[in-house]
Amino acid sequence: MAFALRYGLALISVAVAAGVARAFLHFHLPQPFAAFALSAIAITFWYAGTAPGVLAAVLSSLVRDYFFEPDTNIESRVLYDLVFLIFAVLMTRVARARDELEVRVAERTAELTQSNDNLRREIAEHNQAEYLTSQVFESSPDGVSIVGTDYRYKRVNPVYGRTWGMRADQIVGMHVADLWGIEAFERKNKPFLDLCFTGANVSFAGWVDNSLGRRHFALSYSPLRSDSERVEAVLVISRDLTEQTLASEALRQAQADLAHASRMTALGELTASLAHEVNQPIAAAVTGASTCVRWLTRDNPDLEEAREAALGVVRNARRAADIISRIRSILKKGESKRLLVDINEVIREIIALLRNEADGHTISIRTDLDASLPKVLADPVQVQQVMMNLIMNGIDAMKDLDQTRELSIRSQSAGDRELMISVSDNGVGLPRQQADQIFDAFFTTKPHGIGMGLRISRSIVEAHGGRLWAADNSPRGASFYFTLPTKVEPL
Amino acid sequence: MAHSFLMSPRNGAKFVAIVDDDDSMRGALQGLLKAVGLSARAFESAEEFLGSGDQRETGCLIADIRMPGMSGLELQAKLNAEHCRIPTIFITAHGDEEMRLQALRAGAVEFLPKPFDDELLVESVRAALNR
Repeated sequence: MAFALRYGLALISVAVAAGVARAFLHFHLPQPFAAFALSAIAITFWYAGTAPGVLAAVLSSLVRDYFFEPDTNIESRVLYDLVFLIFAVLMTRVARARDELEVRVAERTAELTQSNDNLRREIAEHNQAEYLTSQVFESSPDGVSIVGTDYRYKRVNPVYGRTWGMRADQIVGMHVADLWGIEAFERKNKPFLDLCFTGANVSFAGWVDNSLGRRHFALSYSPLRSDSERVEAVLVISRDLTEQTLASEALRQAQADLAHASRMTALGELTASLAHEVNQPIAAAVTGASTCVRWLTRDNPDLEEAREAALGVVRNARRAADIISRIRSILKKGESKRLLVDINEVIREIIALLRNEADGHTISIRTDLDASLPKVLADPVQVQQVMMNLIMNGIDAMKDLDQTRELSIRSQSAGDRELMISVSDNGVGLPRQQADQIFDAFFTTKPHGIGMGLRISRSIVEAHGGRLWAADNSPRGASFYFTLPTKVEPL
Repeated sequence: MAHSFLMSPRNGAKFVAIVDDDDSMRGALQGLLKAVGLSARAFESAEEFLGSGDQRETGCLIADIRMPGMSGLELQAKLNAEHCRIPTIFITAHGDEEMRLQALRAGAVEFLPKPFDDELLVESVRAALNR
C-alpha cells in the first residue's frame, strides 16, 4: 500500500469515526466515539500497518480530548489514552500475528504447491511408464504373457494370442493346461512355472507342437513381485525362432553341399593323375597274372614261381581297390565323423594319392613328420581335404618355376595342447597386397579357380578348434600353417 | 640298392634294365622277365640307373615316362647325348600320340600303354637284345 494511502487511512478512519460520533451527538444519542475510534485504530492497524495504526491511536486520543470530552479531568483523559495505548499495543500484536500467519500460510501454500507439482509429475511419469509398458506389452514382436500362481493367464499380448490363433482377451482367465494340453503342461510348463514361482529366472528353447504345427520357441520365465517379497505371477516371454532355425539349418546344409561340390571339383581336376595312380597297380596285376600263366604253361610248370606271381596279383589288386576307396571316401557326402587319428598317417595317405600329380609337375615332396605326436580327434576325410587344397595350391604356385620345385610338409608339436602342420613351397608366394584376402570366399588368382578352397579349409580347421594361416617363405614361396588341438590323454 | 641279379646273362653280358618309380611295376616286370628266362636289373629312378654305371652292359631298357625327378624321355635324351644307344621300350599310362611320336623319333623301340600286352613287351625285349 502506498505511503500516502496508509497514513491517509489513519486520518480518514479517525475522521470518519469523529464524524459519525458527531452525528450521534447531533441526534442527541450517547456519543460512541471511543468505540468508533477503536474500530478506526483496528482498521488502520489491519490494513495500513503498525505506524499508521499508532498514528490513528494518537489522533483518536487527541480528537477525543479536544473534540468530544474537552472538560474531563486529567485522570480520565490519561485513562482513555491508556486504553487507546493498550489497544494499540494489542493491535500491534494482532498485526504481527497476522503477518506471521500470512508468512506461514505463504510457506504452507508454497509447500503444498510444490507437493502438488511433485505429485502431478509423478502421476505424469507413472502414466508415461504405464503407457510405455502397455506399448511394450501390446506391440512387442515377442509373445508376452503373465501367468498367476493358479496357472491361469492374467494378461497376454496380441502376438501371444496370434500364436494360438485366438484373441488376447479370449485367453485371459484360461488355465495353461487348457491351451497347451494337459501333457505338455505337466511335462514342460508346470515344472518351469513352479521353478519360477520360487524366484528363479528360467529359460528354455526347443521344438514345441501346438495347434498351429511344429514351432521352435525360446521361452524365458521371470518372477513378478508386487510390493511383498512373494512371487505373485510369472512373466513369460516367448520368441518364435522357427524361421531362423530352419534358415540356419538350410544354411548348414548349403555349406555342406558347397564343401562337397568343392571336393568334387578338386577331385575332378585330379582325375588324370588319380587314374594314373590306380592304373599302376592294375597294370602290375595284369603283368603278374600273365607271368603266372607263363609259369604254368611251361613244359615243366614251376608252381612255386606261379604262386609268387599270383600273390603279386592279389597284392596289386588290393592296392588298386584301396586307392579307389580312398578317393571314394573323399567324394562321400555326409556328416563329419571325428575319430582319434594319427595325423602323420592321414598326411601320408593324401601324399600317396597326390604323389603322381606332383611328379607330373616335377615337384619333389619332402616330409618331416614328428613320430611322437599324439593322436588328434578329427575327421580324417576333412583333414585330407585341407591337405589336398594346400598341396594343390603349392603345386600350382610352383608350376612355372625354373629351379628345383620342392614342397615341404612338416608335422610338429606346438605346445602341449596343439600340433601344427605346415605346407611350404618355393613358388610365386603370397599376393603382395592381398595377403589377408586369400582366405576370403571367391578370391582366386587362378583363371579357372572358384576361390572357395582356402575358405572351406579354414572353416574345417576352425571347426576342429584350430587355426589356419599363411606366411611368406624365404627366400621365396609361401607356407601355410594349421593347428589342431591334441587329445589330452587321461592320466 | 634297388637293382638285383636274377639270372646269369645268356647272350653276352647284356641285361635288361627296368627303370620305374613304382614298386609294384618293377616287381611285376622282374617277375615277367624271369618267367621268360631273361635277366633283369631294376632301378627306382633314372638318376639311379645313370649313376650305376651299368649302361654299357644294358642290352635293353624298359622305362616309365612319368617319374619324380628325371623323366623317361629326359633319360632317353641323356643317353643319346652320351652316345649310349640302348634300345628303349617305354611303358606309361600317360601316352598321347605326340609323346609317342617324339619318343619313337628319338630312337625308342616301342611305346606301350599301361596296362600293356605282356606278349608284345617280351617280343620287343627279345628283338632289342638280339640287335
